[in-house]
Amino acid sequence: MKDSELSIQPQKSRRGLWIVIGVIAVAIIIVVAGALTNWFGLGTSPIQLNGAGSSFAFPLMSAWSTQYNALTGVQINYQATGSGAGINAVVAKNLDFGGTDAPLNTTQHTQNPTLLTIPESLGPVTVAYNLPGLPAHINLTGPIVANIYLGVTTKWDDANITAINPGVTFPSTSIFVQYRSDSSGTTFVFTDYLSKASVQFAAQVGKGKLVAWPVGSGAPQNQGVSNAVKGQAGAIGYVELAYVVQNSMSYAKIKNAAGSYILPDLNSTAAAAASSAGSLPAGNGDWSQVSITNATGSSSYPVATFTYLLVYQELNIYPSGMTEVKAKALVDFLRWAVGNVAQTAAASLTYASLPASVVTLDVTTIRTITFNGVALLP
Amino acid sequence: MIRFGRDVRRRLKDRVMAVLALACVALALIPLGSIVYTVVVRGASVVNPEFFTQIQPIPCSPGANLTCTQGGIGNAIVGTFLLLGLSSAIAIPLGLLAGIYLAEYGKGPLVFAVRFFADVMTGLPSIVMGLFIFATFQLAFPGFVFSAIAGALALAVIIIPFVARTSEEALRLVPGSIREAALALGVPKYRVTVRVVLSSAREGIVTGALLAMARVGGETAPLLLTAGGNSFYSVRLDQPIAAMSLVIYNFATTPYANWNALAWGAALLLVVIMLGLSIAARFLLRHRFHEQRIRG
Repeated sequence: MKDSELSIQPQKSRRGLWIVIGVIAVAIIIVVAGALTNWFGLGTSPIQLNGAGSSFAFPLMSAWSTQYNALTGVQINYQATGSGAGINAVVAKNLDFGGTDAPLNTTQHTQNPTLLTIPESLGPVTVAYNLPGLPAHINLTGPIVANIYLGVTTKWDDANITAINPGVTFPSTSIFVQYRSDSSGTTFVFTDYLSKASVQFAAQVGKGKLVAWPVGSGAPQNQGVSNAVKGQAGAIGYVELAYVVQNSMSYAKIKNAAGSYILPDLNSTAAAAASSAGSLPAGNGDWSQVSITNATGSSSYPVATFTYLLVYQELNIYPSGMTEVKAKALVDFLRWAVGNVAQTAAASLTYASLPASVVTLDVTTIRTITFNGVALLP
Repeated sequence: MIRFGRDVRRRLKDRVMAVLALACVALALIPLGSIVYTVVVRGASVVNPEFFTQIQPIPCSPGANLTCTQGGIGNAIVGTFLLLGLSSAIAIPLGLLAGIYLAEYGKGPLVFAVRFFADVMTGLPSIVMGLFIFATFQLAFPGFVFSAIAGALALAVIIIPFVARTSEEALRLVPGSIREAALALGVPKYRVTVRVVLSSAREGIVTGALLAMARVGGETAPLLLTAGGNSFYSVRLDQPIAAMSLVIYNFATTPYANWNALAWGAALLLVVIMLGLSIAARFLLRHRFHEQRIRG
């Protein structure tokens, strides 16, 4: 009995061994192939700069990364971790740069005075709705949207809504309120605007990346809210412009501070930024109070935000990995990103181009970035 | 008459229960079938050479004047295999040694403690393991928090307790009589363990290791905190690295069709790889039971 058992062993074990060897061999072949495709084209290991943060900026940063890599060979690796995680990673010096939609708050700025704030692009937050048979862009105002999100206005044929939409017959269906369940820069901008538009909203909910909504149901990410709104007639939600455009959704014109109903698009967003550009702080200043919601100007869309890159003023402070070559590459990329080519590319991905005055401010900021005290951009 | 009636009742009960059990199996298989069907239908269209060699493309937006392509996830495939290979290389030997200790050498409260904590660790959510490595690196090497080595270590700490327990179970299945026979021949204990017990339990150990790899191959949460993701090909251990699960996570929630397609393709590839590993493991197990039946 034992003889037969022992005689079986080598045969069995060989089969198990072969599978393991096979798996390992495949893995090694793939890794080596990857390494070769990586290194053959360039001869040396390419310069790579790592950043993470705002998921709003992720498609834009990815497109820029592809374009800039084709142009210079430098690899800009940007990952969508969310604005909060982006700030934390750059503050902890885990990454070369961070991305965020909400500026550093005063405490964060005080603790990291050399972390520069560089607006890279901007975008509107749209109020999307699902009302079959109604126009693609109904009129809404900040106070009405605030009341909907407070649970005060519950029906689509509410007198306040019908009064500003002459000729449109609203159904008497309930309004299904959708909000973001995750911590989000989009929620920050939206609540920032509603807090300006409604005293009651400011008192009861307030502004933040994650707030306690009195009514409605939550969904994660822009795509989650888009799907929830698309899936239910009578629903309302707030998402970034790219999502309503790509998903062919209906979204509202919002009444701005000058009294006009404005559709969110690249021009009306840029107008909002331009109208408040004069009051922006310097790159190393405190940006916590910067907001371009409810902007003045007759063509400004009222729910818009900058998205920022965060970079240290002196770059030779990383515990590992930062060299003068990398620092120079980072500064060159920043200068390219706020320049004409990149800003035009941004527009075709539904990101608004920075107004000229903001580009000027950015270039001034980028010129102050140093490595061992020596400026990197002439 | 009464006996016959009871017989019919029993047979009827048997049939009903059999049908119910079958229905439950079918119900349990619906999610699996639905997942496999959906990823094949939606993911198969992008699986071509470009998919395996290219990196992420510019998102396609209607009316945009940017050239956008299908792109691929070559960097993520390399990343997943590198992470899997590296974490297995670290964790499987350690887990196996722990398993040998538990099954062959351990005595007293230490064994109880090791086994207890290994069980607790296999039950912990994987994101906690990711947080552990994230926090450790944040304190010790803040420059390498987002790196391939951190990602591999996060996966390794998930694998270790799993391999320790499965290899312990495999070693316990080896009959004591075999150990005694070898010891009676005057073979030292370490040689008995290595040459006789380990080789008898090899299928069980390999199965456990394959299942552990299948388990961590699709992990996303611990990699978000450690590997970080990379838009480019990278095999450097000190740099962030891409992974298929991260591609799915990042691209599935964007509004761009070509990115969504890549996420589906990545999901399909990941399902195929993980099913392959699981099936290889089942095949080995069945093979072993088959042999045992012949022996008996």
